[in-house]
Amino acid sequence: MVAGAQQTVTVRRQGRVAWPVIVAMLVACLFGLTRSAFAESLDQEIDRLKADVADLSQTLYQLEENVLYPVDTQVAVFLTLRNREGLDLDSVELYLNDTPVASHLYTDQERDSLKQGGVQRLYIGNLPHGAHQLKAVLTARSANERFVRREATHQFRKRPGESRIQMSLDAAAPDYEPVVSFQEWK
Amino acid sequence: MVVLAKLRKVSTRFALSLTAALIPGLASGGSDLASLHLGLAQFALDTHDPAAVLRYTRNATTEAERLVRAKALLVTGSHQEAERLLKELIEGQYYRGQAALLLAELPTDSGDNKTREYLETASKRASGSDRQKALYRLAEIEREAGHTDRAGKVLASMEPGYWAALGYMNIAADYGRQDRNPSRALVALRVALAMSEEDVDSQRSQELISRLLVRAGYLAYDHGDYEKAIGFLEKIPLESYSTSHGLYLHGLALSASGNQRAAMQSWHRAKKYPLAYPGVANAWLGTGRGYDLAGYLGQAGEAYLAANASYESERVTLRKLADQIRQKGAYQALVLDARNSEAQWFLADNRTLTQPRTAYLIRFIEQPAAQAAVNRVAELKEMRQTLHQREDSLAVFRGAISERLGPVGHNVDGGPFNEEIKELVQRLANLKARTISPAQQEALKGVARTLADLKASVGRLDGRLKKKDRKLNELMTRTDHALERIRTVRRTADALLSRAESELDELALAYVEEQDHRMAFALDRTEQQIAHLYEYLALENLERGQP
Repeated sequence: MVAGAQQTVTVRRQGRVAWPVIVAMLVACLFGLTRSAFAESLDQEIDRLKADVADLSQTLYQLEENVLYPVDTQVAVFLTLRNREGLDLDSVELYLNDTPVASHLYTDQERDSLKQGGVQRLYIGNLPHGAHQLKAVLTARSANERFVRREATHQFRKRPGESRIQMSLDAAAPDYEPVVSFQEWK
Repeated sequence: MVVLAKLRKVSTRFALSLTAALIPGLASGGSDLASLHLGLAQFALDTHDPAAVLRYTRNATTEAERLVRAKALLVTGSHQEAERLLKELIEGQYYRGQAALLLAELPTDSGDNKTREYLETASKRASGSDRQKALYRLAEIEREAGHTDRAGKVLASMEPGYWAALGYMNIAADYGRQDRNPSRALVALRVALAMSEEDVDSQRSQELISRLLVRAGYLAYDHGDYEKAIGFLEKIPLESYSTSHGLYLHGLALSASGNQRAAMQSWHRAKKYPLAYPGVANAWLGTGRGYDLAGYLGQAGEAYLAANASYESERVTLRKLADQIRQKGAYQALVLDARNSEAQWFLADNRTLTQPRTAYLIRFIEQPAAQAAVNRVAELKEMRQTLHQREDSLAVFRGAISERLGPVGHNVDGGPFNEEIKELVQRLANLKARTISPAQQEALKGVARTLADLKASVGRLDGRLKKKDRKLNELMTRTDHALERIRTVRRTADALLSRAESELDELALAYVEEQDHRMAFALDRTEQQIAHLYEYLALENLERGQP
């Protein structure tokens, strides 16, 4: 009987000990769930904000372009790479009618993007109608480990409407001599 | 030449008048234009400008354009629209694999089966790194379900490289837990090492190899194969992130094989690293133990006391860090301050790993939850800064537009221009009669074209000037709306930033507290060792004192 009574007491004690533990575990689980749910809802709200910012950014870009670069005087210069392996571009400088208008130093990421077919808008601005000269100065490392600096000029006529000039860079084996070609798009 | 100079002057004046008139519009489309926009979108995506991508691909028609747009939508958090585009692409011709992989990475309601289905499609349709990533994830699904043999089969079909190495590393961890004998795990780790050597990204490969060597070294040591452990651990490069851990294990293996002197040398080198890194706290303790085992009890006591002092000082550093987190926030105290360390760029080599704050940041960032929390704060801060800049620019635009409203100050009606153009046309006709060379004729043709363009533009100028104020008012209204939107979005960004920051603070404080517990535990251990040593010395003295 004594042993039985002792056993009962032990069971009660276990019960008393177990309940707070279970409650604590439930609270911990709930806390964990609440925390993860909180993080999830925060992520969702940040996603919504990012979408709003991206949408706003497009509106602003359109507005800026309309204010700053009216279509009839707008000129944009783009850069593409024709040969993926021929050149590692270091920098490009652009001059319009001998006035420096843009310069760019390339990061690895930008170089890779150009090699994968990316097109970079180097310059956008306004020019009056008539004849103009575009000069590009580029420095690069060719595939045969030579450092090169080349200048290329292009004469063009600004006409009504947007003017887009695409500058393509090529360097073919075996000498990997950089060749810059220009193409005008309407 | 005089004609050319005069013409340039007229056209410049005219261009300025046109700019003043502010006539917005868009150019017509075309397939060439679409390819230009695709290239621009690709460049924008690669250089982290998703808003520009969405702008260039707003009329996406080709599969390539839709893929780029879907990627940008994922970055900007528009998952539903991205999912719709990706589901179209998965039925398409060219990007089924890439689309399937991106869909597999999206959280789905339909569960693991759909994810597996997408991954299987990606593993069949994608190429290169995308295919390897899909296969790796399939192997992980099998491994997590406890089917290591099936995971092994998937890994066997992969090309050597980073993803295969990761897969074998994870399988090795499972084998290490399941088997009493380490041979299967070690074989998997050796395969992972061989796979990692084929990784095209050399820095990533080196980092993974170091981690693999630490794991292999530990596994061999744990199973008593000290020579093998030393062999693995000696291959870890000294400038790696895993070096301190490797040095500690190297010391353990040497000590276990009886070479206490060499073991202490390894631990001494590990002690040069901050205590945040794995193995460093134990290396301090190990030095004392090494002296003890080598029979230099006095030096052992000194080494334990030095370890004690080092742990105490680290606890002070941690308390200061916790105070700074409470005062400045975790992002400033842990991320920005660690970034602005005093190390100059020309000294920024592997020694930057020895900066305690950087060490704690790196260890903290190892946790996925911490990564997400820091990323949230960084993104929101960047967004807020961009919005602030945009607001400033728009305020300037607004000023510029309001200045142009009202009557035009200078003479910009078409009359004087027409007179000038007429005069120039007359002079051009006179010159044409006198030109002989083809170059001169060509130059005059160009001038004639420009004059014709100018004449046409002047013809439109009066009409445009009449509409000027209406257009400018339209622009002003649009600017005001945009400003209002910016302010609303900025308010939301501010609220979210404060929530994200408090979550990061909480995580960082919990992490610092955990580190403090770790130091307290290490301190406890050294104190026990010191007590044990003094007790031993006291007993020795007593024994010596007995007759």
